[in-house]
Amino acid sequence: MASDQADKESPLQEWVTNLGQTINGGIKWSGGMAVMAGQALIRGPRRPFALFDISYQVLQLGIRSTPLATMMALFVGMILAWQFGEALTAFGAKNSIGTVTSLALVRELVPTLLAVTVGTKMATGMTAELGSMKVTEQIDAISALGADPIKKLVWPRLVAASIAMPLLVAWGNVIAMLGGMLISDTVFDVPAGYFYATYIDELEPIHYIMSQTKALVFGALAGLIGCYQGFSTKFGTEAVGLSTTETVIAVSVLVLIADFALTALFMPVG
Amino acid sequence: MSTSNSDQDAAESGESLDAHELVEGQGPPAASSGSASSSGMFGSSSGVRRALGTTIGEFNGKTCARGETVIQFDQVDKAFGSNVIYKGMDLDIRLGETLTIIGGSGEGKSVCLKLMIGLLHANAGRVLYYGEDVGEMDAERLREIRMRVSMVFQGGALFDSMTIAHNVGYALREHTDMGDEEIERRAAESLTLVGLGPDTHAGIMDQLPAALSVGMRKRVALARSIALRPEVILYDEPTTGLDPSNCNRIARMIRKLQRELGVTSIVVTHDMTTAWYVADRVAMLYDKRFPWVDETEAFRAIEDPRVRDFIEGRTS
Repeated sequence: MASDQADKESPLQEWVTNLGQTINGGIKWSGGMAVMAGQALIRGPRRPFALFDISYQVLQLGIRSTPLATMMALFVGMILAWQFGEALTAFGAKNSIGTVTSLALVRELVPTLLAVTVGTKMATGMTAELGSMKVTEQIDAISALGADPIKKLVWPRLVAASIAMPLLVAWGNVIAMLGGMLISDTVFDVPAGYFYATYIDELEPIHYIMSQTKALVFGALAGLIGCYQGFSTKFGTEAVGLSTTETVIAVSVLVLIADFALTALFMPVG
Repeated sequence: MSTSNSDQDAAESGESLDAHELVEGQGPPAASSGSASSSGMFGSSSGVRRALGTTIGEFNGKTCARGETVIQFDQVDKAFGSNVIYKGMDLDIRLGETLTIIGGSGEGKSVCLKLMIGLLHANAGRVLYYGEDVGEMDAERLREIRMRVSMVFQGGALFDSMTIAHNVGYALREHTDMGDEEIERRAAESLTLVGLGPDTHAGIMDQLPAALSVGMRKRVALARSIALRPEVILYDEPTTGLDPSNCNRIARMIRKLQRELGVTSIVVTHDMTTAWYVADRVAMLYDKRFPWVDETEAFRAIEDPRVRDFIEGRTS
């Protein structure tokens, strides 16, 4: 009886234990991802270069995400222009609507929102596909046949996500500008041509670089998380669902952390 | 076990050139390790084997005669977290034999197979292939091993986005410079060996795995595993989930491949009918090791109640 009480953890001990386990799990997860990234970067660029697999994945991840990316970018452009337009009108400065929206859209909102939506879509698709392959031993079968699952499955997806996301963000930047232009012209009577001129005038090359760098990093993160979660799926169909859910959380959180880091990095120059 | 004529006809049709070569070249087993050679050992005359260098009884300058140990487990420990699977496990697999591994569910029979091709690594002890520790091998050497030791997974593990032709030809595409036509021809040969040749099953090459029955998928998996004409085939519960007729068919395939391709087979199964039919020797996994390993007839005569309970399906 006495030993039972001694064995039982106090709430504080339990909390500390849980915290320790969570930190330990986080470190293991990060380490596992780093190892997978390293393996992919070492083994992937060797012959054969799997160009067909990469282009197939670009098609799957990129082209098929274009409608979602277009819709997201259009609405975020329209909403931001409307919000800024209302505020600027109150100060009699509605003509600055293009100037104000451009930086926020190009540097921040388009890459980040597309990463959180399209990037998550890409990553969960990878996790579900690779997780199902893991559960049905197809990944083991690739190894058993003497092929390298990292090169066959991870490398093409990682490269494709890193190519597709910057392309989608570039497209999204154009669409978001068109959305802002539409609201500027129809709601605030600021001509579309004027909006365009002020919008473009505000942007410098570094802002495009910042936007594309973020897109590249977010794409790579989504690809890596999607693949790692798929490969580390446990057994059973329930495990695929669990891995996919974790992927959504991981991509969303890591994209925001990476966004903060990149913003801090670029702010002094941009 | 009974034999289905259509199956046998298909499997033994003239398409299986390698099989014919092998049967003719099989001859008597080599007397000693020193006498084994790429040309003299059974199965070595296969065109695919010649092309790939996957000669039976010879690996990396080392030789092994039929009946000698080709794979050896030496004091192997394996655990997943706190779940101990093996503790000081020893097991020898001899070249050319069919060894059946039996044991209760979840005891680690499949783990044994995965240790042999380096899909899993032992925590302690060694898994030796031609005397080389599989756990110490680098990626390139593991690739060589996996060309020589193939595995048929429990559910088939066919790549569901690929056609049957691509599934069966996967290893050839991966490891050889063969053109598409050559690979397709080789894939058709392998399918013919398992009774699913395009002559008897029109259109099968272009079908996806989902379009096939479970039994056919297992046979396609078998065809995929023999595409490289391996030296050893590992079968992970090949008859699980199949009806008696398909169990029978798969069991005959295992025997046939051993006979015609000269392969060493290790069969993990719960199905005692299959176990008795295919085995030259039987090993029973019990208490994290293999305390009973013997020739089939001798194994059937073991009086130990733990063995009798298992093979007779008694619950007491």
